[in-house]
Amino acid sequence: MIPGKYRSVSGRAANNVNCGLHLVIQTSPLPEKNKVRFKKVEFKLNKDTSSFPGRLLQHDLERNYSSRQGDHINLVSSSLSSFPILQRSSEEKILYSDRLSLERQKLTVCPIINGEDHLRLLNFQHNFITRIQNISNLQKLISLDLYDNQIEEISGLSTLRCLRVLLLGKNRIKKISNLENLKSLDVLDLHGNQITKIENINHLCELRVLNLARNFLSHVDNLNGLDSLTELNLRHNQITFVRDVDNLPCLQHLFLSFNNISSFDSVSCLADSSSLSDITFDGNPIAQESWYKHTVLQNMMQLRQLDMKRITEEERRMASVLAKKEEEKKRESHKQSLLKEKKRLTINNVARQWDLQQQRVANIATNEDRKDSDSPQDPCQIDGSTLSAFPEETGPLDSGLNNALQGLSVVDTYLVEVDGDTLSLYGSGALESLDRNWSVQTAGMITTVSFTFIEFDEIVQVLPKLKIKFPNSLHLKFKETNLVMLQQFNALAQLRRIDQLTIDPQGNPVVNFTLWKYYVLFRLSHFSMQKINGTEVTQNDMIMAERLFGILAHVASSELPQYRLISILGDARKKQFRYLLESKGKKPGIINEENNDSKRLVGENTNRATLNYTTRDFYNEKLEEIKEKKKFCKTYIEDLVKEATEINMKNEALQKLWPQMFIELVRDAVIEIRNKNSYMKLCLQQITDQK
Amino acid sequence: MLSPERLALPDYEYLAQRHVLTYMEDAVCQLLENREDISQYGIARFFTEYFNSVCQGTHILFREFSFVQATPHNRVSFLRAFWRCFRTVGKNGDLLTMKEYHCLLQLLCPDFPLELTQKAARIVLMDDAMDCLMSFSDFLFAFQIQFYYSEFLDSVAAIYENLLSGKNPNTVIVPTSSSGQHRQRPALGEAGMLEGVEASLFYQCLENLCDRHKYSCPPPALVKEALSNVQRLTFYGFLMALSKHHGINQALGALPDKGDLMHDPAMDEELERLVVRSKLHRTSRPHRAKEPGAFGFQRREKQEALERVSSASVPTPYHYRWEPRE
Repeated sequence: MIPGKYRSVSGRAANNVNCGLHLVIQTSPLPEKNKVRFKKVEFKLNKDTSSFPGRLLQHDLERNYSSRQGDHINLVSSSLSSFPILQRSSEEKILYSDRLSLERQKLTVCPIINGEDHLRLLNFQHNFITRIQNISNLQKLISLDLYDNQIEEISGLSTLRCLRVLLLGKNRIKKISNLENLKSLDVLDLHGNQITKIENINHLCELRVLNLARNFLSHVDNLNGLDSLTELNLRHNQITFVRDVDNLPCLQHLFLSFNNISSFDSVSCLADSSSLSDITFDGNPIAQESWYKHTVLQNMMQLRQLDMKRITEEERRMASVLAKKEEEKKRESHKQSLLKEKKRLTINNVARQWDLQQQRVANIATNEDRKDSDSPQDPCQIDGSTLSAFPEETGPLDSGLNNALQGLSVVDTYLVEVDGDTLSLYGSGALESLDRNWSVQTAGMITTVSFTFIEFDEIVQVLPKLKIKFPNSLHLKFKETNLVMLQQFNALAQLRRIDQLTIDPQGNPVVNFTLWKYYVLFRLSHFSMQKINGTEVTQNDMIMAERLFGILAHVASSELPQYRLISILGDARKKQFRYLLESKGKKPGIINEENNDSKRLVGENTNRATLNYTTRDFYNEKLEEIKEKKKFCKTYIEDLVKEATEINMKNEALQKLWPQMFIELVRDAVIEIRNKNSYMKLCLQQITDQK
Repeated sequence: MLSPERLALPDYEYLAQRHVLTYMEDAVCQLLENREDISQYGIARFFTEYFNSVCQGTHILFREFSFVQATPHNRVSFLRAFWRCFRTVGKNGDLLTMKEYHCLLQLLCPDFPLELTQKAARIVLMDDAMDCLMSFSDFLFAFQIQFYYSEFLDSVAAIYENLLSGKNPNTVIVPTSSSGQHRQRPALGEAGMLEGVEASLFYQCLENLCDRHKYSCPPPALVKEALSNVQRLTFYGFLMALSKHHGINQALGALPDKGDLMHDPAMDEELERLVVRSKLHRTSRPHRAKEPGAFGFQRREKQEALERVSSASVPTPYHYRWEPRE
């Protein structure tokens, strides 16, 4: 008879979830010797099997059931079928009526078990069984152990409706299937198989322990319906992401050691599982990350044990602090990337505008309209060292802190950006920003000014402002500014000083000329530039420049008549002062400075000061102005010529007529005086007439 | 001065032929523009300077294209100025593109039109691959022909087109040549087979053109010389021949012979002085002192400069004085 303890235990086992590892101990008498041999049972806990609170186990150990493995079975091969038939002695049947152990029997097939239909525990460990067969009659079976066999498919279990423990570890099972009727299953052990997918277990609502370690799983999902699952062992698989775990209301232990999890996002559902208290991630790539521990702790506040170690309060605190820091950093970088994106969009827009302009497709009017509608929406991007665009108030830039993350309208047509010591201007609208009130500190720090997508002719007009507002700008960069003529470099001579010049080949055809660098060095020799386009300027370069263009300078200075020199220089200076004269709120000191500057300028390089650049528009303007004068001159000269020709004609006529006239004059005079008396009378008469 | 032919001309025509009015108008215009500056030192002096510069050929520097083109004398002066200023570029051996030459032209005349430069480039490159590099002398001589005789060349182009298409614009019948009648093929596409036109026929037309043209044109005798040793020629071949002809170059009087193109001793001396001065200027700058041995370098340069100056003053400097030609 079954001992009462066991019975009650097993009864308990039938009702509650406290299932322990079962151990079926077989005893059967030797056929030849009529003795019962007892052997201490070696109870090996396989490492990969979950550790249950094994009360039953304890009991079993205490009982000290012993068995002689393999010797006591009487397997009679039947002639009827290929299956051996198992027979036990009736003593054994009575002693261990509910359990049968056929461990290490070198079985290749499941034997037919007759007359044991009340069997509850069946052990087939360590055999060579390939198929589960011949056990359909054991409908009272509670525990079936087929560990370490060669089973390739789960089958033949459809009648075992009471089955609660199914151990199929270390087999060759490729797929979970045919468990439909095992609705009372409590423990399912499938470790050490070839399973690739979790499926067909959703009906096992009483399952408490599921062991799928050492399989070929690549992801975890399809776990819904396992409402009683407390422990899930997924060690040693190839899992990359985990889902559905939050659908397991009772899950407490989850073992994910030695898988392929690399980010917390792939196991994000764990954060939503309020029942989880014990988790292992060791052996995953994620465990190597610096942020591993605090991220896990921060996201899973309910956790009590991580990687088999208790979590202390201190650790939790550290985790939250670190997590906050991460959050900050992420927010920062997000903001940064947002700013960058805005910048990129604006620059793209400006580039597009520039292209259109170059192709003269867009109507100028529509451009202006768009600009007008955009100006109230200027983005103000302020972030510590990076200042971009400008606020709507006219106060100093670095004190205006508008909301940096307003939505950027994509039709913005220009961008101004200050980044430490570089001022970048994109699009011609940006030139107006030079008018704003820059704080002395910010303006003083600027050493590099970069122009992109702006016509050079427009930049020229703004250079005087640049000179005043940003006195320390030493490096100028031009990209996509339509520099096409060497002449245009003449315009840079009016600046105070340039140390470096960078002309990007993109959008500046002048760079294709062989002589452009030498011309720059020649014309701007008074700056003693150090670098052009990143290359150092050598003494030889300067000499070459002088050799190539020195005569031009000589001709331009010494061979021009004085009045032309004065007029050309006067023009240049007038242009420079135009800004000052027109601007309001200028300080008188600046004008004096300007005077000194230009004087110094003229003194340094008189011979090339006459080489100026007038933008095309100004030039045409000037020519227009002169037209009037020219017309006047023409008419004036014509009048002069007319007068002169008239006089000439008269002169010539006189020349022709004079001889004749002279003769007549003489003849008249002689005729008059021929008669002295009458002539005297005539004269006296004339005198009296006069009175 | 008092040649009979001069007195035979009516007033306006005489003045026009000598372009006197142009210069008078321009002088007065300049006076008006720079009233304030000139009034400081007197009008008489202004006129003196103005006409002096006209004589010297410096009046066209940095002037607008309409003025530069106005008279033959202006054109010659401009060519000469261009040669003098950029001879060094040619001497350096750099080959430049048409665009770059145009840039150099624009340095002297800001609104110089691109088409003239393009036409000049076409002469050099024989209407082929306009992005090719050209040498300074090739470009300069071609440019001379194109710029000085631009109206003449336009008429020649028209004549050439006519001849090519088989139409003879002259009513003069040339009895000896029968090739004119052979050219019944009108299509220009097939003109490539018989390249160009017959030289003698072409010359006949040119001669007529020269007779009735009021623009300046090259001396017919020299043109005949240029065409003497070819049977047929293309338009650009003809222009190329003109540009390379020494006689025509001399007749123009703007540029020296091809062999002497790079020679200008006076200017070279001046240039050396400038270069030395710039070297001193650079080495004396404080931040240049970082170079090793800068001080020694400086001293040596000064020494050299002194030597050079003293050696320059010994022989009498040769100043080439431009003289007007009829």
